[in-house]
Formats: sequence, C-alpha cells, structure tokens
Amino acid sequence: MSDARFSSALDGIFTKLREIYTSRGYTRYRVGRFEEYDLYAKNRSFITGSSILTFTDTDGRLMALKPDVTLSVIKNTAPSRGLRKVYYCESVYRAADPSSGFSEIQQAGLECIGSLTLFDVCEVIELAAGSLAALSERYMLDLSHLGLLDGFLEDNGVPAHIRPELLRLAEEKNSHEAMALAEKNGVPLYVMDAFNTMIHLRAPLEEAVRRLSSLPLGERAAEALSELARVAVALRGVEGIYLDLSLRCDGRYYNGIVMRGYIPDVPSPVLSGGRYDGLTKRLHRDAGAMGFAVYLNLLDRLVPEPDGTDTDILILHNGSDPEGLLRAVRALTAEGKRVRTDTAAPEGFRFGKLLHYEGGELRE
Amino acid sequence: MSDILNVALPKGRLGDKVYALFERAGYGCPELLEPGRKLIFESAENGVRYFFVKPSDVAIYVERGAADVGVAGKDILLEYTPQVYELLDFGIGKCKMCVCGRPDFRDDPARTLRVATKFTKIARDYYAGLGRQIDMIHLNGSIELAPILGLSDVIVDIVETGATLRENGLAVLSQVCDISARLIANRVSSKFKYEAVTQLTRRLSQVTEVK
Repeated sequence: MSDARFSSALDGIFTKLREIYTSRGYTRYRVGRFEEYDLYAKNRSFITGSSILTFTDTDGRLMALKPDVTLSVIKNTAPSRGLRKVYYCESVYRAADPSSGFSEIQQAGLECIGSLTLFDVCEVIELAAGSLAALSERYMLDLSHLGLLDGFLEDNGVPAHIRPELLRLAEEKNSHEAMALAEKNGVPLYVMDAFNTMIHLRAPLEEAVRRLSSLPLGERAAEALSELARVAVALRGVEGIYLDLSLRCDGRYYNGIVMRGYIPDVPSPVLSGGRYDGLTKRLHRDAGAMGFAVYLNLLDRLVPEPDGTDTDILILHNGSDPEGLLRAVRALTAEGKRVRTDTAAPEGFRFGKLLHYEGGELRE
Repeated sequence: MSDILNVALPKGRLGDKVYALFERAGYGCPELLEPGRKLIFESAENGVRYFFVKPSDVAIYVERGAADVGVAGKDILLEYTPQVYELLDFGIGKCKMCVCGRPDFRDDPARTLRVATKFTKIARDYYAGLGRQIDMIHLNGSIELAPILGLSDVIVDIVETGATLRENGLAVLSQVCDISARLIANRVSSKFKYEAVTQLTRRLSQVTEVK
C-alpha cells in the first residue's frame, strides 16, 4: 500500500477521533519532536521496553526524539483550577525491541489531568470505546483494575515473594504454572481456585462484576470491584466493554482502572491506557490522571486496496506532440480519470486501460 | 476474521504427538494424514485449519496473529518471551533445561564463568538470578563441543535422556527449568474467538496428562 493512501486514510481516522474528543471539550495539544533525555531516563520503564533515539543539541544538552507523548503532557501541565483535558495526534520515535530498528509511530490519544472524579474516569473509558468504534464496528475494550488481583493476593495471605510471579503468570493466563508455584508455597487451594477464575474470567463488564462478587476477594479487592461496579452502571449501554483481569500494567505508574482496545485483524492492542496517578506523582504533580493512546501505525492493514491498479489509463506516446498530448490528458483527468503517460509501459506498473497517442489522437 | 481456528503445530515427532491429542479432543482433520506436499490442512466440519512450521517459529505465527493458537516448547517461550497466552501444559515433549559440563568441573566464583548456549536469554536470566557474572558465548549447534574443546566452562542446553552428554563425557551440573509442550494463543484472537479458543482449551485439557 502506498504511503500516500495510508496517510490519507489516517487523516480520515484522525478527523473522526478529533470530532469525538472535541465533542467533550478536549483541546488539541501539540508537542515538539524533541525533549530533554533526562525526562525519559528517570521514567524509562514507563516507555515499556523501548529504546530511545538521542542526540546532543548545539548547547551540549542530551536530547531525545520523543518516544512518548504522555510524559511531555504531564511535564508541561502547570497546576491549575479544574482539569486539563487535551487530545493529540503526534509522531513518536522508538524501537519496540532491540532487534527492530527505530521507527516513526503515529499516535492519537487524550489525557485528562487533575482531581479526577468517577465521572471523568467513566468519560475517558467512553471516549476510548468511541475511538475504537471509529476504527471498527467489532471492537472490544478490555478493562481491568490493578487493585483487584493485587489486593486479592495480599488480603488472602499469599506470600509477598511469589506475588509478582503470580501476577506475571496471570498476564499469560497461565494457570498450570501458577498452581504449581502456589502449591510449592503452601497457598490454600480455595485461594488458587478463585485466582484462576479471576484470570480466566472474560465477560461484559456488568456481568463480570456480578460473577466476581461471589469470590473471597478481601477488603482491597472488594473496594476495587465496587469502583468497577459503579463504572459498569454508568457505562450501561456502551457496547463492547469487557473485564479481563489478566490485563496488567506497571504498578509504579498505573493504578486503578487500566484498559486495552482491540479490533479484528490487528493482532495486538490498538489502544492502551488507564489511570496513571503514579506517573504524575513521580513527576511531582499533585494530580490524578487518566488517558489512552491509539496506535495509528497498526491500522495500515485496515486500509483496503483500491482496485489493484496504479492508474486508470496509461497513454504511450513518442513525445512529438506535447501540446496535443497535454490537451488529451487534461480532458481525461477532467473526467476524474487517473492518467499516466510514458514512452514505454513501465515495468510492474498496473493500469486499467492502455491508449496510444499518435497523430494528434488517442487510439486503443 | 474467519471463525475457523488457525492452528500452528511444530513439524516433526512432537507435532505428530500433539496432533493426535487434537484429534482425540474432536479436532481431527483426515486430510492431514494423506500423503502429499500440502502445507495447510483444513477441516471445516471441526472448525480448524492446521499448518506445520519450524518449532521455533510457532510462537511468532501465534504472536503475530497468523495462527490463533499453536503448540510451542517452553524453551522457546522462555527464550523469546512472545506476547501470547499460555493456556495449557500438554505434559509431552518433556525434557529439562540444564547447566552441563565436565563431571569434575568446579565453579570458581573468583573467575567469570564462560557459558556456551543457544538459549542466551534463559542462561542470562538464570545466572542473573544467582548473581553470577558470566561470559556468554552464543552458539547455534553442537553445543556439547564447547566445554570439551575449552571454548566454555559450561553449557546451558536441553537434556532429554542425557545420552549425548554421557557419550561425550559430560554431565548435568544443575537444572534450570522443566520443559514441555504448551498450548499458546494469540491475545487478540482469544478475545474475538473466545468461545472457540475456550472450548479447544477445555477439550484438550481433558485428553492431556497434565492439567
């Protein structure tokens, strides 16, 4: 697929997203391409597993091509009355893993920063669902609450030294290894049965909350479930929202509700986000925050091939009558045709119809 | 996204064994047993499409969504850490990831340990857990030669019966982890084909030794 067609398809998607975000009073946030490297060095694990492209500026400062937008938004958010509600569509630069090179990744998304109420949390989730609906009718938005599994393990007396490993296994939905680890460490079977139910549970939000409420959750997890229950009621009627507790995020930055969005035919999440008060605190901002990013670069598979041709008409000519040929081409393009002229058919070029320009006329 | 489940199986003996389990679980594909050069085998009746790939590639097919589910060795999952769900331990293709060397080898903590292996991430993680500094030597095959010729002090490799080690005068010095075949699933397919993947996992667990 040509870059131009992808770029034009992306413009269309971003226009739709912008309409969704501005309809709730979010304003456009523009960032420069560069940021001081120090910002990322201090919060490296927030930019999960990514390498950062750095260079030395003319004044000797170590700079980075932005690998992420969220950090810049928070850094540049001064404390103020009310909430800061911004959306963006920016390029970020990173290497997803050491074996792949750096690439430019287009991201759209939004951030809501300040003293968040439950309404703000629900609105961000609704906007995330709306963003996915703009990409595909068959979207799915998975929610999780980091306090649920963590709290459940803690309140049920699971030894602290195996909790991180159990949470990692939860992310893989790996019951067999979780059971083996728990057995070795004397975790009661009823606790692990509930744990397995939780990591394999995947159901529409309201139904999932109902099913979880019968488990021996403990105080912290019950508190998290109660927040999810209120969200479920508020978002009743919004399609495609599920609970999946295997969804995990780095607890140093994220807290509370986190989310991932999926659409068919794209094998990885196209949307990711959540509540990240931990990150704002690390950046010395006394504020809560929630947001998400939509990974536009993953959407190229969704742009349909037009009709398999590069042009509608290919005109072959000998170059002897430029004036007449130009007239003929203008007439065809005025009819909305895509026209390419050449003295010989270019190799590998696909065209709908072949015409010859000879003696001031077009002939088949 | 079609409703049929795309299944990546590892080529070779393990793939044959695993297919037998899929067949017992009700996911047979008679076409697969016919001789020929076909690469993809489909049973519309049972809702599955199989293809056999190099064992080390199964996880890539699944992670990137070309296959919805697949069967991969735990060694591959530990080495490449693909972003997939690990739904079941089949309990077949069992072996161990071990540190091996000359039987009289004694580790001297004052020296950097030279470790030859194909599984660099597994070895690095293992020794990092022990706080031991190592000199990693990445090899692609004939790993057992390394300590015999003095290229390394030890190797980290898969041991099935231990026969190759014994024949070359080597022994298991310590065990890193157990290895067996695992059912893995693409994280997005598992959502859009939730019923199919859940049913497949449940039926396979019923015909599998380890649950």
